[in-house]
Parts: sequence; C-alpha cells; structure tokens
Amino acid sequence: MNAPLANSGRGFRRQFELSIGCVPFRLQMSDAALFDAASARYAAFMDAAEHPIAIALNDATLPRSEPADFGYEFEGAAVHAFSSGIRFDGVKNQYALDSLLRVFLSWKLLEHQGFLLHAATVIRDGKAYIFTGRSGAGKSTVATLSPEGSVLTDEISLLRREQGVWRAYGTPFWGEFKAAGSNSSAPVAGVFRLLQAPENRVVPLRPMAILRTLLPNVLFFSTERESTRQLLEILSRAATEINGYNLSFRKNATFWEVLPA
Amino acid sequence: MSTPATATWQKNPALAWREIDDETVIISPNDSVMHELNDTGSFLWKNIDGKKSAVELAELLAENYEVTPDIALSDTQALLEEMSSRKLVVTVPAAGGVSP
Repeated sequence: MNAPLANSGRGFRRQFELSIGCVPFRLQMSDAALFDAASARYAAFMDAAEHPIAIALNDATLPRSEPADFGYEFEGAAVHAFSSGIRFDGVKNQYALDSLLRVFLSWKLLEHQGFLLHAATVIRDGKAYIFTGRSGAGKSTVATLSPEGSVLTDEISLLRREQGVWRAYGTPFWGEFKAAGSNSSAPVAGVFRLLQAPENRVVPLRPMAILRTLLPNVLFFSTERESTRQLLEILSRAATEINGYNLSFRKNATFWEVLPA
Repeated sequence: MSTPATATWQKNPALAWREIDDETVIISPNDSVMHELNDTGSFLWKNIDGKKSAVELAELLAENYEVTPDIALSDTQALLEEMSSRKLVVTVPAAGGVSP
C-alpha cells in the first residue's frame, strides 16, 4: 500500500497510508523529497486499514468549486474537506503537513467521539494516565520521568470513546521528545492537571472543573457552530465519565505514589 | 442605557452551550471564548427563549428561588445586561419593525 502510484493525467504521485487513533489516512503527493520526509516522520504510524481517507497534497488538478465542509489556512498552507475528497495545498515541507494533519484530524475526530488534547500520556499497569496543562506545566517532565516505552506521547494525546470506554492513543505529533509517540492505546485511568508544587498531592475534580481543565488544552480549529456544539458535547461527556484531578507535583518521579490506581 | 424590562430576549444563535453540574458552559465559536453561568444564571439561560421579557424571567426566578420579586427583577436585569455585553443574548426586535 505504501508504494509509488502512477496516476495518468496527474503526473507521478506517491502515496502511503497511516493510522492515527484508528483513523486511517492515505496521503498522496508528487514531491519525492516531501514523500521521503513524511514517510520517515510517520513510519511508526504506517498502517494499511480499510477505507482510508484519501488526502491529496498540492494537487492543482483537483476541482474546488463546491463549498468545503471544513476549511482552515495556516501560514500559506490550507486544508479543505470536500465531499469529493480532502486536499492539502501549499504544503512546502513535513512541518506544514504535520500542522495540517493535526488541524484536519481535530475536525475528523468529531464523528468518532474523540478529540486531541495538549497532554502527555503514560501507560502504567495497562491504563493511560493523561497529564495536561499549558506549555511549561510539566508534560515533558512527566514523560521524561516515566519508564522507557511507557510514553504514548509527550505532547498531544488523542482521546476517543469506543463502545462506552474512553481510550487514549499515542500520536506522531511530538514535543520535546523529538521522536514519534507510540501507535498504541489504553483505557483512560484519569486526566491530571499538572501544577508544580513543593509537595505531591492529588485532588479530585468535579465534572465542571474537568471540563474547565480540558477546554483550553483541546486542539480545535473550526469556527463553525455545529462543529463547536459537537465538540462541547464530546468534552462534556468526557468530563462526566473520566476521572479528573489536580496533580500538584514535585519535578521527580515520586508523584506516581499519590496517583489513584 | 439599560434595556426596558418589557423587552424580550433570545440567545445569540451563533453560540454553542452545554449544561453540566447545574452550571452552563457557553462557547463562542468565532473566538473560542468560554463563558460560565452559575446555577441561577443557568436557570435564566434555559428560560431565555425569544419570547420572555426580563419581567417574565424574573417571575420564574422568584417562583423557583427564595427571592423577592423586586430582587429577582433587579438580578435578572443585571444578568441580562451582563450577558448582553458579552454578546451571549440579544433583544428580539419588536414586531412591526426595527426600533430606530
């Protein structure tokens, strides 16, 4: 599946398939350098699933007359979701592709009862511990202090509700680790809002406080009312069904001692 | 200048909102700003339907909370003005035309 594709009339285009949070994509492009960089960047997430969402990169031959279901522009690059297909334009390098992929995934996850969250996720005893907070709150610190191989992501976590259970997935959108997250998932143990403090302490949060914790850390780019309404619905459900806590922690691994099992 | 107590109010149709823990979260999609309403605010928000005035909303408030009609009306008007300044609610144009 991750092989060059000859497409008559549109030049020589290459493609590879990946899956993030069980959402399958097929990226198609003609730029060989971009193909090499992107396929290396997402190597850990390459996966050939059924019915991938085809995304055409920098394909000027595609029509764009119909109104887009979703559109977003970012530093000269743009994503448009049409009923006939998805297109990323103005993608000059792997970093622009990464940004558009995050933007598009944040919208696409609505139909999967999911969302992207600025958070590190660490697996412990088969469960996902999600540590969220703004830049500098300690996400990377938590990831660094965790055993090798237990970190799903140190920067952007993907949460989705599957058959009544919230699961956290790793993503290839990394932070200070400078390496891809893990393409695996686990049921969510809890969401922890990081607060640096001299002592370790964990305080349970009410659903409203959990929602207040989640909202500023969610990646979302649509300004359309219906999409925003769907997101709020999903987040409210998460806030009601997922345990949430304030975690005051010292910058060392002893914080695990106060976390609920 | 304050809005007449008999003016009717409606929610800003551009907003998304959700009730949780007897409180209400309102999000403005254009700027992603989050607004929160407490128990009383949520009660009023639920009853703002494009048909009721501040007077009618205050009557409902007085019926459901231990508060005198006078205080209910002043609280309701203050909250409506606050929500209006945040563009969460707008007055419904009077029938027969737009006021000058």
